[in-house]
Amino acid sequence: MRPKQGFSMEQKKARWGWIFVTPALILFSIFSFYPMLNAFYESFHNKNLLSLRPPRYVGWANYTYLFQSKDFLNSVKNTAIFTLGTFIPLLVVSLILAAFIMSIKKFQRFFQMAFYAPAVLSSVVAALIWLLIFDPRGIANQGLNTLFGTSGVNYNWLSKPGMLRLSTIIVYFWKYVGYFTIVFVSGIGSIPHNLHEAALIDGANRWQDFWYITFPLLKPTTLLVSIMAMIQCLKTFSTQYLFITAGAPTRPINVITLNIYYTAIKDHRIGRASAMSILLFLVMFFFTYLQLKVSKTEEVTYM
Amino acid sequence: MSAVRPKSWYLEKLAQVFIWFFLIAVCILVLIPLLFMFTASTMPAIDILKLPYPWFSDHFHWQNFWNGLRGPEGDFIFVRNTLNSLIVAVSVSFFTVILSSITGYGLAKFKFKGRNLVFMLIMATMMIPFEAIMIPLYMVVTDMGLQDTYVGLIIPFVANAFGIFLMRQFFIPFPDEVLDAARIDGASEPRIFWNVVLPNAGPAIATLAIIAFRAQWDNLLWPLLIVQSDEMKTIPLYITKYMAETHSDEGIMMAVAVMASLPMFILFFTLSKYFVSTEGLHSSTKG
Repeated sequence: MRPKQGFSMEQKKARWGWIFVTPALILFSIFSFYPMLNAFYESFHNKNLLSLRPPRYVGWANYTYLFQSKDFLNSVKNTAIFTLGTFIPLLVVSLILAAFIMSIKKFQRFFQMAFYAPAVLSSVVAALIWLLIFDPRGIANQGLNTLFGTSGVNYNWLSKPGMLRLSTIIVYFWKYVGYFTIVFVSGIGSIPHNLHEAALIDGANRWQDFWYITFPLLKPTTLLVSIMAMIQCLKTFSTQYLFITAGAPTRPINVITLNIYYTAIKDHRIGRASAMSILLFLVMFFFTYLQLKVSKTEEVTYM
Repeated sequence: MSAVRPKSWYLEKLAQVFIWFFLIAVCILVLIPLLFMFTASTMPAIDILKLPYPWFSDHFHWQNFWNGLRGPEGDFIFVRNTLNSLIVAVSVSFFTVILSSITGYGLAKFKFKGRNLVFMLIMATMMIPFEAIMIPLYMVVTDMGLQDTYVGLIIPFVANAFGIFLMRQFFIPFPDEVLDAARIDGASEPRIFWNVVLPNAGPAIATLAIIAFRAQWDNLLWPLLIVQSDEMKTIPLYITKYMAETHSDEGIMMAVAVMASLPMFILFFTLSKYFVSTEGLHSSTKG
């Protein structure tokens, strides 16, 4: 009697296991897997959002169209400029800030919190604040005019293409620099103390300690931060969308996510929008895969 | 001895001065926009556009906040939209915590055929960025007749792979003896989960709840796709429509910005432990 009961207990547990995971599987099927497969499907079809006609198979036509479309190539360029222009300064500055914070004895927590404060705001609010700062009469122009000793020069933050791109980069940089600083601070904090002590006993100064001990050991964190920052930048939408609705020119900051949105919702071209989504997916898949690989290996680096 | 200082001592001091100078300068630069938001929210628009910007005004122009609350047509649509944001963010946060705990518990504490496959499938969804599936997702939700509803705003975000991963990792070290003891006492599995397991998951729940809440409070893209009526708008939609599109009074704009950030500042100052420390993986979740 007894062994049989034990067997049914195992079975009962297995059944409960399935019961516990089924709701999530159903939701994922409807809201993740199906849409993903559907995006693949639609990207090879021609479909209008508003028409009831079934999608028509067009092969690779959507993709070949995209690679000849000036509008799409423009948004690839914009996304690339934004991503490189944001993540490299983010990486460098947050690493410097973290190293500086770790080298002082007091106010470490204060500086971390202060740098992080902008991340508390939602992206739309952040963009709204900067919209006023970049106003022709705003404090961005006033600040630069004071700095350069000029008066009344308008830098056209929200109208000249180059400046407009720079403006979106500044908003993003401002919002995320504190977050990545904190990631670096915890990275530096996890380097075993005795390594620094050994270096200092060997007569290294603080610069050498940073350059030969901290920096090499921080490589996994650096890699992780750069991939995370890159993924964030590739997804950027809110800042550009808010600036454009406020009247800034679309072309210089029409990034891929915006282009997908406009193509699907304004032009009703689901096929093209899906093809763009798939391309974005492939790029981000690559980086997410890298991130998972890196974050897995990160824990064993001080062996 | 101490009178003769080596060259490196001066270099060290110089470096220290530079480090402090740099940190303070960056700190000021980072905080200026925030200070601008707070000060401008208390000024009439004419003062905000004065050259140079008067950083501190002598009287508190509270009308900005009142007019911000009343909205452009005086129908308090901003209050309604704030309520929507709260409803959506709190619901997503609540259901994400429940579903992630249930699933994470199932994956951590029950052996069944196909468990690894289920776990891998769920983790695979982390690779799918929301931005890449938003259009098909929009069609799914519209086909279900859920556009312009709370359910439509909430349901796509409830199943959260990162949340499930977090809870699973949290439950794995939970002692099996405690669970078995409860089983011998005759408690049913749902009861064990609810009364024994869940009450012990406080820190993980707090972390996950805050991450989910923030993601929805910040969400512009999804509401933009599926909300049509003004009554169902959330704060980010309200701001893009009434603050950016129809250029509003600058003072009101900043008052709205302050009010829209208030819940986040409250969370930040009360729960900063959960707010900052555990965010490392948050970028790979959708939303």
